[in-house]
Amino acid sequence: MKKVIINIILVILAFVVYFLQLNFFNWFTIANVMPNLFIILVLFIGLFTNKNLGAIYGISIGLIVDLLTNQTVGITAVVYGIVGLLAGIFDKNFSKDNRITIMFIVAATTIATESVMYLLHFVILNTNVDILIFIKILMIETIYNIILSIILYPLIQRFGYYIENEYKGNKILTRYF
Amino acid sequence: MYKNRKTGFLGVFITIIVLIIIVIFSNNDNGEASFFENVANKVIVPVQNGLTYLKNKVSGNNTFFADINNLKSQNEELQKKNSELEQELREMENIKTENETLKEYLSLTEKYGEYKTISGYVVNRDISNYSRTIVINVGSNDGVAKDMTVIGDQGLVGHVVSVTDTTAKVQTIVDTSSSVSAIMSTTKDSIVCKGDLSSDSELRAMYIPTDANIIQGDSIETSGIGGVYPKGIHIGTIKKVVSTQNITDRYAIVETAIDFDKLTSVLVVTNN
Repeated sequence: MKKVIINIILVILAFVVYFLQLNFFNWFTIANVMPNLFIILVLFIGLFTNKNLGAIYGISIGLIVDLLTNQTVGITAVVYGIVGLLAGIFDKNFSKDNRITIMFIVAATTIATESVMYLLHFVILNTNVDILIFIKILMIETIYNIILSIILYPLIQRFGYYIENEYKGNKILTRYF
Repeated sequence: MYKNRKTGFLGVFITIIVLIIIVIFSNNDNGEASFFENVANKVIVPVQNGLTYLKNKVSGNNTFFADINNLKSQNEELQKKNSELEQELREMENIKTENETLKEYLSLTEKYGEYKTISGYVVNRDISNYSRTIVINVGSNDGVAKDMTVIGDQGLVGHVVSVTDTTAKVQTIVDTSSSVSAIMSTTKDSIVCKGDLSSDSELRAMYIPTDANIIQGDSIETSGIGGVYPKGIHIGTIKKVVSTQNITDRYAIVETAIDFDKLTSVLVVTNN
């Protein structure tokens, strides 16, 4: 029962993030660069639940984004799915209490995801490549993502541990030592 | 890796099926609305329309408290201008009818004379920093189809890449995967305008002929080559010419006539 409620909340959260990204962060930009909230959302779903749920949420959120705004269907879905899956797999390798760790994880995920997506877009849509400008935009986006996740982390952490207890039970004790 | 062989096989099987579905989706390139796309739109678009309406209301309100005296004087000025313009309009109409009769004499076909258009609003912008597509609120129910040209009040916006019942995705000309065949209006040299990642309102004009003369401030319009865009639609003006060591590599930066940041209403050309 609790799991059902958690999943409903996660779906609602995904829609809230979608509208936030589309309406608010289109205007609230740093040097005309928006953050990517979807990456943060999928990453934390993967980290706090398990790899299956991470992959499922990644693929579904990616598909919705693809269907509603992108020119091709599939790229975002696959990439976000992989993000959720990897977050679920590597979850046990570090503590989620340390903010520096979280910063590095968000930065690495953002850079990897956007680079892979840029490469795939180049292969499929034959975009004009401009590496230096791409790196500049990616740096600003990464910094923006880090700032957002650090500001929101107390909230994410509280809700996340609630989910984690539900999904992983008392198997995880390292947190209390 | 797997504790249980059966679930392992099941996982691989499900993954393969998901991948096949995704491949079918991504290759479904006939421009018709897929079922899932329509369903997703039915859920999202009402909310999105409401939010867009709110946003437009809020952003339009900052001029509401302007000085009244200022407005009065402006009003008088505008009325004066209006009467002048009406007079000019009458003259223009005379000239227009004259022109039409003359054209009839010359038996010119009016191929690019007037466009039939459908007007629509921008409801979505792109959520990614690396591509610039927009979604407009007219779809196949209103007569929009794939590859139709989309124009704004000042010039070319882009073309439709996919349609659902009530919305259409438009690839703008500043998108990095867009390239438009164009000509410079004074010298008639043909160039290709490609979208650039660095700015929302700049294009990169490539493949300039080596003997071409580029004039700063010259206006650029579509050439009609390629079949997507009709001939003679204004794109923008040349901002500066970047010359490189090799003359074949030189390119020009074109400033688009449309301000894509403030684009709210568009027209879809239905007969090209």
